[in-house]
Amino acid sequence: MMHLGIPSRLRRTARRAAGRAARWAVARPEVLLRRRWAYQVASAALPLLELRGAKAYQVAAIRCVLSDFADAYLGRRPCIFTSAFVPTELVYGLGGVPFLPEAAAGLAAASDLAARSLSACEALWYSPDLCSFHRAGLGGAAAGLLPRPSAVIVTSHLCDGGKRSLFHISRLAGCPFYMLGVPYVPSDRATRWLASQIEQVAGDLARRVPGLSLEGLAQALRRSNEALAEYERVSALRRNVPAPWRGSEALNYVLLFLWSWGSPGLSPFYRALRLHLERTIAAGDFPIREERHRLLWLNLRPYYDTGVFKYLEGDCASSVAFEEYSFAYWPSLDLRDPFASLAEKMMSNFGWGPIERRLEAIARLVDEYSIDGVVQFAQWGCRQSNGGAAILATELKEKGIPFLNLDGDGVDARCGSEAQAITRLGAFIELLGARRGG
Amino acid sequence: MFVAGVDVGSTTTKAVLLSDRNCVARHAMPTGVDLAAAADECLRIVCGAAGVGHDNLAALVATGYGRDRVTGVARTVTEITCHARGARALVPSARVVVDVGGQDSKVIRLDDDGMVADFVMNDKCAAGTGRFLEVMAARLNVPLEEFGMRWRKAKEAARISSTCTVFAESEVISLLSRGVVPEPIIKGLCDAVADRLAGMVHRVGLGGGVVMTGGVSRNDGVRRSLEERLSCRVTVPEEAQFAGAYGAALIAFEMASYVLSSQVRRPK
Repeated sequence: MMHLGIPSRLRRTARRAAGRAARWAVARPEVLLRRRWAYQVASAALPLLELRGAKAYQVAAIRCVLSDFADAYLGRRPCIFTSAFVPTELVYGLGGVPFLPEAAAGLAAASDLAARSLSACEALWYSPDLCSFHRAGLGGAAAGLLPRPSAVIVTSHLCDGGKRSLFHISRLAGCPFYMLGVPYVPSDRATRWLASQIEQVAGDLARRVPGLSLEGLAQALRRSNEALAEYERVSALRRNVPAPWRGSEALNYVLLFLWSWGSPGLSPFYRALRLHLERTIAAGDFPIREERHRLLWLNLRPYYDTGVFKYLEGDCASSVAFEEYSFAYWPSLDLRDPFASLAEKMMSNFGWGPIERRLEAIARLVDEYSIDGVVQFAQWGCRQSNGGAAILATELKEKGIPFLNLDGDGVDARCGSEAQAITRLGAFIELLGARRGG
Repeated sequence: MFVAGVDVGSTTTKAVLLSDRNCVARHAMPTGVDLAAAADECLRIVCGAAGVGHDNLAALVATGYGRDRVTGVARTVTEITCHARGARALVPSARVVVDVGGQDSKVIRLDDDGMVADFVMNDKCAAGTGRFLEVMAARLNVPLEEFGMRWRKAKEAARISSTCTVFAESEVISLLSRGVVPEPIIKGLCDAVADRLAGMVHRVGLGGGVVMTGGVSRNDGVRRSLEERLSCRVTVPEEAQFAGAYGAALIAFEMASYVLSSQVRRPK
């Protein structure tokens, strides 16, 4: 390794200083996240990441997140907290920056910061039975780890814990709270009713929150459509056998998938990812060359450090070929009728409404991605996915697709056992192997 | 040809030595804290009993939660597959295998060929496992071996939570402090474990012979409570505790046979 003539003593001192800075940052992230220089340093270091082997799409993703975090924590744009399935195009279109506490909880778990947020939430009387993504989000807000919201928007669909924890956050911050009521059964009338709510919320936010206006809505929708077009190519490339991308990594980018529709950074990220996948397929340089089994992964993953995926992708040579939460289920947005279009996007969420919608979507993904088995990560406290486990298992069994309900927790490492998860996954892979005759 | 299977469980390590498909020696001992040493010792004992050198094994397969700690293995296989294979070999009519070990419980559905068709395992809590019963036996000061006999003496069962080991222990203390004798408490504990197991059996589908394996299968109280809930006979083979190690040994035998037949077929 070249050291450019720097004396070893100086190098050791620099290393020690960097170590101290990293420890300080981990201990006081709320301070670091509010320092302009931190984002300047991080942005300046991005090219170095590529030099050190990071892929272009990985750098594009970090750039996208850094930009939003800088806007949110430094107050450069009004920060709107949302639950996971609010169309973020609305927030970007208004000139704000969205912040999803539950997605931030995943980042906190990956950074080993979740324990502090979870403790803060428990101090607010919340039971550990509530989904840890929401607990860590709320706890993060209570502990001062999150930016200050100018408003909170939630939807009534899917996560019940999300709307309640975000309501609590709006009370802590003393900011307006909006809830979009999503009708259970899709119809034109239901879509129009939801569209009128979105329009009302947008108008109200533009009037009440300084710095927000409706001028950028068309541009946000255009960006979203561009990103969707790129993303559909990415999804098509992922049908390749063997899988061109590790599912464990794809599950990390689900957070971006939930967060960034309408942002300027999403389309470049998906473009870079598409190019990477095209190159991988052309070169035959697959992450798992001798792919034994292809899995569809339902719900999220543990975001803290775990050996589960190393075991699955390494020892078992099995791919997570696709993920339920990576499925872009909505059509291209109509710029001429933005509110109706956003309403249609929300209404088309296959996880909402009768369970048959989710079953149909899963069956489609099983076919499209040549899936051998389906794993549902049964997130502790998640009612919306765990509630349908029995019906899902029966339905898949009838189609001859093995199903594993894998208990665990995405954020709270105390609620899961790595050894037991590995045993269950190992037995499931053995079952798939036996079906193939060996 | 000698092959062996070793099952390194959370509480007990078991080893089975086969000569062809026939069991010639078996041994069980506490796992302790050194998993690799327990496996080595267990294998040394079964090999010694049959007068076979450890190095003369044609294949060794390890299973159980400590399977990755065993050295010199041809392959590691999960407990689910091994218990399925072992139980099927011990009881050919088996279609549902209920294996209750120290730290987890599992119910395995077998297809007509004896392969794993489906399985479920206990969720996050130790309730429904051997550890649950160990904690309660210690609290009651009654050896686990006496649970079956005490179960039969009980006229009724005390109501005990099957949700959490800590809650259940508190309930046992509360019952003892009210002067309740151990028998109904023991029956209540066996019922609590059986409630969890019966739910798991119904998840994979009841039908065909039900076989119980693992350390808890020696507890006759749990077996009887489970029979009451499933309304069918639950068979416990004599070698139930060794089903996992036996299944591992059978897989080792198949591997060794395959290698041998490949060598025989190979043109010179």
